[in-house]
Amino acid sequence: MSALEVAGASKIFNQGTTKQVDALIDVNLTVNPGEFVSLIGPSGCGKSTLLRLIANLLEPTSGSVSVNNKTAAQARLDQDYGMAFQQAGLFDWRTVSKNIELPLELKGWDKAKREARAKEMLELVKLPEFADLYPWQLSGGMQQRIAIARALAAHPPLLLMDEPFGALDEMTREYMQGELLRICGETSTTVVFVTHSIPEAVYLSNRVVVMSPRPGRITEVIDVDLGSKRNEDTRAADGFFKSITAVREALRGTHADHAAANAIRGVEDR
Amino acid sequence: MAENNALRVIARLRQIGPALVFGVSFLALWEAAVRGFDLKPYFLAAPSKIFEQFFKNYSRIWDASMVSGGNALVGLIVGTVFGVAMSFILSRYRFLGELITPLAIALNAIPIFVLVAVLNNMYSITSEIPRRVMVTLVVYFIVLVNVAKGLTQVRSTHVELMRSYAASEFVILRKVRVPNAVPYLFTALKVAAPASVITAFVSEYFGGLQNGLGSRITSNIANAKNAAAWAYVLGACLLGLAFYTVSIILESATRKGDTK
Repeated sequence: MSALEVAGASKIFNQGTTKQVDALIDVNLTVNPGEFVSLIGPSGCGKSTLLRLIANLLEPTSGSVSVNNKTAAQARLDQDYGMAFQQAGLFDWRTVSKNIELPLELKGWDKAKREARAKEMLELVKLPEFADLYPWQLSGGMQQRIAIARALAAHPPLLLMDEPFGALDEMTREYMQGELLRICGETSTTVVFVTHSIPEAVYLSNRVVVMSPRPGRITEVIDVDLGSKRNEDTRAADGFFKSITAVREALRGTHADHAAANAIRGVEDR
Repeated sequence: MAENNALRVIARLRQIGPALVFGVSFLALWEAAVRGFDLKPYFLAAPSKIFEQFFKNYSRIWDASMVSGGNALVGLIVGTVFGVAMSFILSRYRFLGELITPLAIALNAIPIFVLVAVLNNMYSITSEIPRRVMVTLVVYFIVLVNVAKGLTQVRSTHVELMRSYAASEFVILRKVRVPNAVPYLFTALKVAAPASVITAFVSEYFGGLQNGLGSRITSNIANAKNAAAWAYVLGACLLGLAFYTVSIILESATRKGDTK
């Protein structure tokens, strides 16, 4: 049983017009329960589009997507996944606690149950004292942790993340990566994670899916063998650098049409 | 405790001190100029005379303020209700916006006098309705433009998030669009509240009942009672301020937490 299965999925925008864009062509991807998979590739390679197909925010032009052995549409209706974006996307008019409660509200949970869960989630992201503050009173990293707490509030088996740490500074970013691994480990959540950063992808993932643009497709899937317990020492381990090199080389291949293959270094920071 | 209170009073004084000093010196300068250059009352009345007239005619100014203020308030409420209702309709049916926007711009481009004259013609001479309709129109457009913006310009992340929760359009409206539009409504009211007073007031210059602040100013000037006319201007200022203050209090009462 797979957590997620994408079979022969393609997404073509503005089909049949002069503005036709082949965003994704014949993508196949299976993710196992508890696995952490990153999607990496240059801008326009369709990684965000793929994430939105999985989330059923977009319909594939052809092929199929199944989540939790249901159609993507049914999985969305059942809230089988949580989602986090580059912007934390918290609601300014709701307290931190009420932000976390939102998905539960929409599921029709009663107030006491919602509040108890929000409290539990705040403990999980280590911000219990911030329950009654408003989002803008928190730093960017804290806001993103609240967004993760919200995404996981209903205990979905799958977490979809679209460059959630892209707007954070490097120090906060590394801290958040550690926290994300801890949280997902504790909750045994499966994660599909879109990123621009090679070290981030390697540090977090069991597998890194390398994608290339025009048309968007998967060119390589790299297994990262760093064990399940990762910490700050992992960032200095030989295996870490080996995997980074492997991903970098795979990405370089996607840039064959660029004059300077070195330009790939620029991909890490947006 | 007492020390704390004293500190608070000092902090408050520091806040309003400069404005207070400026206001008092401005009035003093005005008074001095009128006396020093021996300016005639028909040219510029002295503040002392204006205040004297203001207190002497206090009850009449109050009555006139109630008339103009009442018209402004009725127009403000009706205009806000219609403006909010219309912005919901426009945000739901975007094509209507394209039909109505040019009409709104055209209506807004008509000088207010023209409409008051026309409206005065439509109703009897003793009717307050033309002024109220005029205020309603002015308020309506301010509210409509702002609230429609608040309902439609929501962050794309928020909409995607709600769709990922399988939320219906109605739920998105209730949980995202409406709360997002609330600050826009109060911004609109902050502009519309003083504008409603000005409109109610200016509308009185074009005939109809002679019971409001605007009419009193004209009649006092016509009778060469300049200081009295200024006293009514003062009344009009206070009325506008009162409307503005209420709109600010309403805004801060509904604001969550502190300012950004």
